[in-house]
Amino acid sequence: MLDDVRVLEISAPETMLAGRMLADLGADVVVIEPPAGAAGRRIAPFLDDIPGIERSLTWQALNYNKRGVTLDLFSADGKALMRELAAKFDVVIEAADASRQSPLDAIEFSPRLVRCTITPFARTGPKSEYASTDLTVMAASGAPVMTGDLDRSPFFFPVPQAMMEAGADAAIATLAAILARDGDGLGQRADVSARIAAMMGSFGQAIFPGSGNPEPKRTASTMTIAGVQVPSVYECADGFMLITIAFGPVFGQMTQRLAKWAAEEKRLDQRVAEINWPSFIGDLSTKKTSPSDLQALIDGLKSLALSKSKAELAEASRRLRLLASPVMNMKDVAEYIQYRERGLFASVSVEAGREIDVPARFAQFSNYSIEIKRPAPGLSEHTAEIFATELGLSKTEVQALFVAGEI
Amino acid sequence: MAAPLEGIHVLDLSWVMVGPASARYLADMGADVIKVESSKRIDPVRTLGPFKDGKTGPERSVSYHNLNAGKRCVAIDIRHPEGREIVLRFAQWADVVLESFTPGVLETLHLGYSDLSQRNDRIIMASTSLLGQTGPYAQGTSGVGTMGAAMSGATHQIGWPDREPAGPWGPWTDAVTPRFIVASILAALHRRSRTGKGCYIDVAQAEAGIQFMLPAYYEYAANGTIPERRGVAGSPLQAPQGLFPCAGADRWIAIDASAPTAWEALRVVIGGDLRDAKFDTIIGRLRNRVELDAAIASWTQKQEAEAVEHRLQAAKVPSHVVSTSGDLVRDAHLLEARHLNKINDPVFGEADIEGPRFSLDRTAMAATRRGPRIGEHTKEVLAAVFGMSAAEIAQLGEAGVLA
Repeated sequence: MLDDVRVLEISAPETMLAGRMLADLGADVVVIEPPAGAAGRRIAPFLDDIPGIERSLTWQALNYNKRGVTLDLFSADGKALMRELAAKFDVVIEAADASRQSPLDAIEFSPRLVRCTITPFARTGPKSEYASTDLTVMAASGAPVMTGDLDRSPFFFPVPQAMMEAGADAAIATLAAILARDGDGLGQRADVSARIAAMMGSFGQAIFPGSGNPEPKRTASTMTIAGVQVPSVYECADGFMLITIAFGPVFGQMTQRLAKWAAEEKRLDQRVAEINWPSFIGDLSTKKTSPSDLQALIDGLKSLALSKSKAELAEASRRLRLLASPVMNMKDVAEYIQYRERGLFASVSVEAGREIDVPARFAQFSNYSIEIKRPAPGLSEHTAEIFATELGLSKTEVQALFVAGEI
Repeated sequence: MAAPLEGIHVLDLSWVMVGPASARYLADMGADVIKVESSKRIDPVRTLGPFKDGKTGPERSVSYHNLNAGKRCVAIDIRHPEGREIVLRFAQWADVVLESFTPGVLETLHLGYSDLSQRNDRIIMASTSLLGQTGPYAQGTSGVGTMGAAMSGATHQIGWPDREPAGPWGPWTDAVTPRFIVASILAALHRRSRTGKGCYIDVAQAEAGIQFMLPAYYEYAANGTIPERRGVAGSPLQAPQGLFPCAGADRWIAIDASAPTAWEALRVVIGGDLRDAKFDTIIGRLRNRVELDAAIASWTQKQEAEAVEHRLQAAKVPSHVVSTSGDLVRDAHLLEARHLNKINDPVFGEADIEGPRFSLDRTAMAATRRGPRIGEHTKEVLAAVFGMSAAEIAQLGEAGVLA
């Protein structure tokens, strides 16, 4: 779909997903790394838990479908080559941080070029000079303070997320600028704040005070209804199951079906199963129901869940039309028949002679298919090829750049 | 300059979060987005807070506005034969259609992609659901974003080892999925401008969530290790890196001084126990992590979180308060960026909603406006788009089509 779009990605953790999404959608993406390798190559986990410049699985996951070159953008030669390269491309994506100015600032680009810049906060103004890492940007998003139990510290994802949030929004911002250029032929700068991108996952934390509401507090996965702790995650025979317990005319029917099944399985008293669960909350006030009924239901469901496997509970969820899913680990994800048969996976090489299946198709199209056409580039893998085809450099000239440490 | 999607027509048949948030991106880029809603079956997001001044009501949800800013709303009962015909006529007007029904429902109503593309073969239609439109468990499966998080492997990895998984905050995949939907739609619009070809796009929310967890998936697929929940923030390979308590209830600061220069700077600022030789090297800091974290915590916990942030940033140590909603509305960066925008709603008055998630320096983004009330633009849109007369519109209203 983007087969006429050519992208230069100055690699940083935050640019990686942006470049890969555009490459998946058909763009020709060339990633530019410093001669020593991009920062993304030093992000865990590593293949077989052995570190190495070609062994970062994070790098591999976020750089397939791209070609790679090395170039020292801080040298005079690097800048000259970058200017020549940029003239042949439509888009440059970069991430600038407070510790160093963007090397691209010294380069005069064509007015047709789209330049997308990701910063932790902003290019100018308050906090633009803040020292930041993925962890501190996520802290500023408003999501972690809501994540976890109030009696302990908030949680963060074990996988860096600010780089994902920023990268995904940078893909969108770049495409917006490309569409504007489709209209009038002119490029422009697009700016993505990793902090504002990550605020998407806070689900509007920032709008609470201005709407006359108190600050929300984190509650983990447990609600308190009529003084009864109603969990949403239940331990089962081989892991955990997410089960949404709800009331009211629509969602309460699910609770009714679930209660009936628990009684059939001898895990819940028949009387409790026969309570009118859709109207449970209203019936509390007329004393038709009591909090102890809800407690009995929860106890019954805990006992039911423990007696079943994730697969059995998932089957029941489909049969009884519940809002319930297995809490999948990555093995479950890899083996899930729905993902397999739907065609989520594609095969990619992680080192010579070793292929794995990875979830590649984030969208499916009626007349396009996301494919993995090449694994993530090795360090400087395509430097000679690209400098020859794009810039017309001779073999001697490419070797000269290498000897001088420019590539 | 005109916004990038000026002149692009979007029919938003979706509800709750994923679809509306995707259409909001398009509205922010200048598209004319018409939300179809029925007062017989209102958007459930209207039952989600925050409500203005904490008082509930279908027109009082500020979350609704945050997800539907800048759209217009037409009330149609799409199950009514004449309502269905209006949707088909909108398909002729639209460049993009978004929907998030349970897979199979639109086909039952004869409003699926094959029906819509028959009227307009250039149309780009995006469907989103928990598990997608194909595969053994797709048809008839409804879901919400907490389920998406559970099925993408995220929930399993977030929690304390001694407790059940806590999972990410909220319906997590509702925040992740719109990015993949919007990028796919924009790529399809670009292709259409060259080839005239539309397409159908199918995005499964659980699958989109896996993209943000991909390194953990690779850890299993390549190394055979199933990543488990480990509680604390911060990588086991980097120290000091994590959360530290500050003065006051539930106040925290995130500090990442794992890089050598940041570590030296932190050591100078805090001094005291941090000068101990056992913390001189990376290996020393990792081996003595418990004591290291305790020494930093004993310094942070006596101070206000903001004060710690300012002192550490002055020394170029990566750090930030773990922002609460109150911190966000006072935040200097967000104020300067004008990320929060005042809306004035005729029903409840003033509230803040968020602005666009990125900026362009030449073609402006659309100004942030409040979301529409149910059916607010029905008459205006039917008259302008289809040239319907007041009498025709009144007739449809009496027939119960515009409810």
